[in-house]
Amino acid sequence: MNRNRLHHNQKNKSSNVRACPDCDLLQSIPLLLPNEFAYCLRCNATLLKNQKNSLNRSLSFAVTGLILFFIANLFPLITLKALSLTQNGTVLSTAWVLFEMDRPLLSLVMLFTTFIFPALTLLGTVYVLLQIKTNRINDYTAPLFRFLHHTHIWGMLEILMLAILVTVVKLGDLAEVIFGVSLYAFCLLILAMTLLDYYLNPHDIWNSIRQYNRESK
Amino acid sequence: MKTARESKLISCHLCHTLSRLPQDTGYTVTKGDKKIKCSCCQSILHSRYPHSISRTWALLIAAFILYIPANTLPIMSVNYWGEIQSDTILSGVMHLLHEGMWPLALLIFIASIFIPIFKLATLFLLLISIQLKLVYRPKDRTTLYRITEFIGRWSMVDVFVIALLVALVQFGSTASIRPELGALSFASVVILTMFAAHTFDPRLIWDVINTNEK
Repeated sequence: MNRNRLHHNQKNKSSNVRACPDCDLLQSIPLLLPNEFAYCLRCNATLLKNQKNSLNRSLSFAVTGLILFFIANLFPLITLKALSLTQNGTVLSTAWVLFEMDRPLLSLVMLFTTFIFPALTLLGTVYVLLQIKTNRINDYTAPLFRFLHHTHIWGMLEILMLAILVTVVKLGDLAEVIFGVSLYAFCLLILAMTLLDYYLNPHDIWNSIRQYNRESK
Repeated sequence: MKTARESKLISCHLCHTLSRLPQDTGYTVTKGDKKIKCSCCQSILHSRYPHSISRTWALLIAAFILYIPANTLPIMSVNYWGEIQSDTILSGVMHLLHEGMWPLALLIFIASIFIPIFKLATLFLLLISIQLKLVYRPKDRTTLYRITEFIGRWSMVDVFVIALLVALVQFGSTASIRPELGALSFASVVILTMFAAHTFDPRLIWDVINTNEK
């Protein structure tokens, strides 16, 4: 697999010429060793990265993320205890309470940025990576991966993590805060998604799709 | 060294496949009436984002307008033993400071006051610098754009904190928190500036530089 790609790159020189996405300068990129990054000569944008075993690693982190996402949404994240009353908070209940309080737009923002988009990112990434691994790319792989790329910045779980920390500190004086199982799963989920981002190399995926396009013609 | 546009090439903004430029209209490349799509990922190709400057201006001005209610209207109201107290973004930061939670106050200050102002100001200056065709320090301006694009989403922290507080503190008449209109305006400011940063095309900063060098 690895040797194939090397061969392919050397044969097809034009695939190594790239225009910088930030300043449009055309430059040819030398063959990268594992863990090497190529930067634009003029504006320093990252042009290309080469990660060893990127497909397998990103797939494993995506699957881990999916499992953790499930756990993180199943049980309460934080429980608040005051005056013998308890109140649970999950990601979805937060969106629901906002909806009940006549703030439907805020509720939608919460629902999309902290539930729907992260869920789609994880599910879609697992699906695309599995398709590539099992050589079952079809005509819908490219549009799906395009969609994932566009919605990626709207998944804001790491920001919600920071917000949870702030909330816990703020409420610490007023009431007893109990951390739920989901909170631990949630922390690990952030870690898994960060590593997924780091190891996922879109260039490899587009290369596979390009090859599929060539073969299907 | 040449840019893709000077070599009559067009780079796909998504998968970076290079395609030949048939007829450069400056915006979306058209062949007859049909828009040309990338051979690899099927995105619609354009050498520069279509109407980048006017779109970014529109979103930026909308964000400027909404920034006023976001700061003057209360973001949430706390009902504690029947006593209702409303907080704006700034008064919330001041409360935290008075209670001695200065690390939190600093965090909220950076996320809800500093970042939005920084973002609005940078996009404003970048747009003006492009329209005046300035050649001043393009590399730094590109870095500034990258920072703006990266930190923008972190302003959502305050909105999420309010949402979590509202969901957790629901103890009937003794203590409850309600989200107010300021929170919605603030969320809109963050979302609009994220879109504005997205429609802004940093390649426009460099377009003037090429012609000057030659």
